[in-house]
Amino acid sequence: MIDRRDPPPIGRVVATEQKPATPHQFHFWTANETTIGIGAIVRVEEQPGNPKGLPNGRGKGETGKVVYGVVTDGFAYSDLATPLHDVVGAEGDPARAAESPTVRQEIRLWTAAVLRQKPEEPLQPVPLGQVHVASDVDVAQALRMDTYLGGAEPTAIPVGLYTSGTLEAPVYLDADFLLGPEAAHLNISGVSGLATKTSAAEFLLGSIFQHFPTHKGRIAAVCFNVKGPDLCFLDQPGALEDEDRRRYERLAVRAQPFERVRYYAPFKADGVNLNTLRTHPDLVGDVEPLVWGLREVLDYAEVLLNRDDIDAKADAFIDFLSDRVVDKDFDDGFGGAHRVVTFADLERLFRSIFDGLELGGGRGDTWRTHHIATIRKVRNRLSNISTRAKGLVTDDGPSNDLPWGRFEDRAVYVVDVANVDPLGQDLVFARVVSKLREHLERRDLGVDAVVVFVDELNKYAPADGPETYVKKMLLDISERGRYLGLVLFGAEQFRSQVHRRVVGNAGTIMFGRMDSDELATPGYQVLSPATKIKLATLPIGELMVRHPHFTQPIFVRFPRPAVLRGRDGVERFPPAADLPFEDAVVRQLVKLDRRVRPNLVKDLIADRREEDVRRALAYTRQTRPQDAFAHFKKQLGGRVAAVPAAARETVAPLNPISDDPY
Amino acid sequence: MPRSWVDAILAAGVVPASYVPDASVGRTDLEEFTGAEPVEDPELRVHSLAGAQPLAPAAVGFLDGIEQWRVVGYAGVTPIVRAYVAAAIRLRGADRRPRTVAEDADELAITRLDRLSAAVRGALEGTGVHVVEISADDAGQPARALPAARIEVQKARAALERRLAERRLEALGSDEWLVVDGVLSDSAALSAHPRALGVVKSHGAQYFAGPELERALTLPAVHRTSVFRPKRRGARREIHSWYLRLWPWEGNDLLYGLLRVEARAHPDTGALAPRISAWLVDERAPLATPDRRWDRLLYPIHDVETYLRARAPRDLIPYPASRLPRTGS
Repeated sequence: MIDRRDPPPIGRVVATEQKPATPHQFHFWTANETTIGIGAIVRVEEQPGNPKGLPNGRGKGETGKVVYGVVTDGFAYSDLATPLHDVVGAEGDPARAAESPTVRQEIRLWTAAVLRQKPEEPLQPVPLGQVHVASDVDVAQALRMDTYLGGAEPTAIPVGLYTSGTLEAPVYLDADFLLGPEAAHLNISGVSGLATKTSAAEFLLGSIFQHFPTHKGRIAAVCFNVKGPDLCFLDQPGALEDEDRRRYERLAVRAQPFERVRYYAPFKADGVNLNTLRTHPDLVGDVEPLVWGLREVLDYAEVLLNRDDIDAKADAFIDFLSDRVVDKDFDDGFGGAHRVVTFADLERLFRSIFDGLELGGGRGDTWRTHHIATIRKVRNRLSNISTRAKGLVTDDGPSNDLPWGRFEDRAVYVVDVANVDPLGQDLVFARVVSKLREHLERRDLGVDAVVVFVDELNKYAPADGPETYVKKMLLDISERGRYLGLVLFGAEQFRSQVHRRVVGNAGTIMFGRMDSDELATPGYQVLSPATKIKLATLPIGELMVRHPHFTQPIFVRFPRPAVLRGRDGVERFPPAADLPFEDAVVRQLVKLDRRVRPNLVKDLIADRREEDVRRALAYTRQTRPQDAFAHFKKQLGGRVAAVPAAARETVAPLNPISDDPY
Repeated sequence: MPRSWVDAILAAGVVPASYVPDASVGRTDLEEFTGAEPVEDPELRVHSLAGAQPLAPAAVGFLDGIEQWRVVGYAGVTPIVRAYVAAAIRLRGADRRPRTVAEDADELAITRLDRLSAAVRGALEGTGVHVVEISADDAGQPARALPAARIEVQKARAALERRLAERRLEALGSDEWLVVDGVLSDSAALSAHPRALGVVKSHGAQYFAGPELERALTLPAVHRTSVFRPKRRGARREIHSWYLRLWPWEGNDLLYGLLRVEARAHPDTGALAPRISAWLVDERAPLATPDRRWDRLLYPIHDVETYLRARAPRDLIPYPASRLPRTGS
């Protein structure tokens, strides 16, 4: 795994009064033709008692202090005192300047930040010794990876290859600091369109699944697909080049797609076609519908309420509904008995309350201590979600959810909310993460740790803006998740636009190519101008990594993920057009039971109300019977003749006092 | 060489001192009128270099030397000088980058042994340092001792340069030239070699008078004089020479940008003088700044000097505050 070649010296530390060597920084020069650049890791060896600076025959480590550093800045200059002298020498002709018989003396001077000193105590200025390009062993030492690469229970997770010239060395993260409990969370920043953020997360997840130490237990990932087809084909192999395969081999990671991927997507508004781009006939079969009912929504009603809505009265009424009404036999006080399970049941209760209050002849404007205005507001918000997130939230019928308590080891659960209303996205996000937390607290999720990958973190946890439920929840994960095994892998374009406590609690931070304006924000002041320039021009597949063990950021290259990229996936597996209602129902029943005959289903549902069909289908899906058609038919029930609607009780109009308006 | 011999004589009772004379400006030409004989023209004339095809050797070695010295102690009033001389040849090839191909250095102690106590003399001799003695007359007067020491340093440097140059000549390639900072006539081998050049920046010696002197010293930029033969002085060998102006002197002084070139005394030298001169004019770039002699100093010679100074003992370089009285601590 580690190459133990010892590279030749490439430079020498220099120190002047203006640019002294310190315990944290030093300067060195190299030949003009050198392989090192910004981000290169170097090793400095002290050579005591050797005035001529010649090798004294002693081996590495015997000569005194060894210092590892990373190049953070570079300078080149000649002995030219002023540009005017160059002009004079060339007699004002730039072409002649290149024809001078002698090339001026030039220097390549580099500034390096200290990564590690050995021995670590006493901490002293860097010795003025020879500088070597770091070898594999040096990289491991410099980044303190030796502490978690070896031993009885190694916790190293390959993250990429450090490269400098022809030298390549694997870089590892410490699982204890990436996934807890010592530190946790990963934040990835970078401009869009360079396939780095998502690719990095996918590669790292694959690496984690292959290298997460067994003694740390079982692990799974929940990925929210919030845009396009990004995460829709994680189970399909993608195209790799030889260079990618070589990097996989060097990192000891198998180049393969994820073995266990479970997809969840809500329905579209029709309630039968899935709202995802993974609808190609070959793939749609393993996409599970994500359908939530009243109970699932009510627990997270705070998500649905905007800032103005959040008051003690609304909160109290929602609590009342949740505690006293939903899933319980309930008397509305007007003679009506209710068992509220669905939105439809709740709507009936609300109607009953309003009618009861109105028919009470002005008896009052409160019901069970709740003012009618509060009741109306809550009713409005709850019914609103079933409209805005139709397909995710069902008015009626059972829900279909992630397999709480049955999470599989090394499985990825993709929740595709790319085409869901933002309010619905918030709801999905809040509920899934909260449920993860609940189960992890109880240690009954099925795995010991869960990585939650969220792109567009600036949307869910913005640096400014209102304190939403989602933001508070993300803060909570960031600050306490590592104790539970709930790990946030967040990505965003602009780190400065994400709440600082969310990014600040990320133990590991990755930067892809960065926008120059972003780099000018205060959060990047610690980086040298050269490092910023490198960040602004990073190629695809290269990242700067900060990790608790690394005292300075390190640049690494990683292979493209071995999964089908979203754009390629959509080309290879074009999404199917939405099916007509009948065909969509047939497809879902066939998915449950291949013996189902389409014509029988179509005949059965002809002339039936779509709501009834959806409800019957949902129950069948939930039950997963052996004979799906028979179960579906039973749930749908017999055809019932239409019954004229009963006359609605209405409030009698007030008797006019007089016809005379005056 | 470590400073052990200095420590040894201080331990033997020498009073420590720290006096660094003004930096050497290199060897100077003779400060006298010697006369010259015409070679190329019946009298000294001015030749333009316009149209002259510069000589373009495949490789050129540039030789220069440095000297550094300081008084490290006094035995009575007799100074003991520590001197360091070094010389190097840096070869410029096709890539236009000079690289060191030969170098040598020497450290010496300059004093008058019989003026030292037996203990100091024993200490000095015991270290094995190369001791050079000044005359008894000079040693008795500090005002004369230091100039005498300086002359010894210059001699040592000249000898070192000569040795290095002569060794290099033996290995000089067929298309390789050797350019020496200073005169060629010190060395028989140098002054006879077909591809050795001396470039003299100082003009203490004058070879002409009257109109010929005026022609030489008011030479326009990118012009040369006729080739002439300086009259022999002492042990100096016969060579051919000519003046060459690199930069316009108007607005500066007569010697601004003025070089005197030395080459072997041979009929071919006259024929090559235009091409050699055009080559040296090309050597104006890059400028040898920030050296104050940049108008006459070829950059590759400056480069050799920079190289040597970078490798010289650091304790011989005058420190700005070194002569301030020491504090009580």
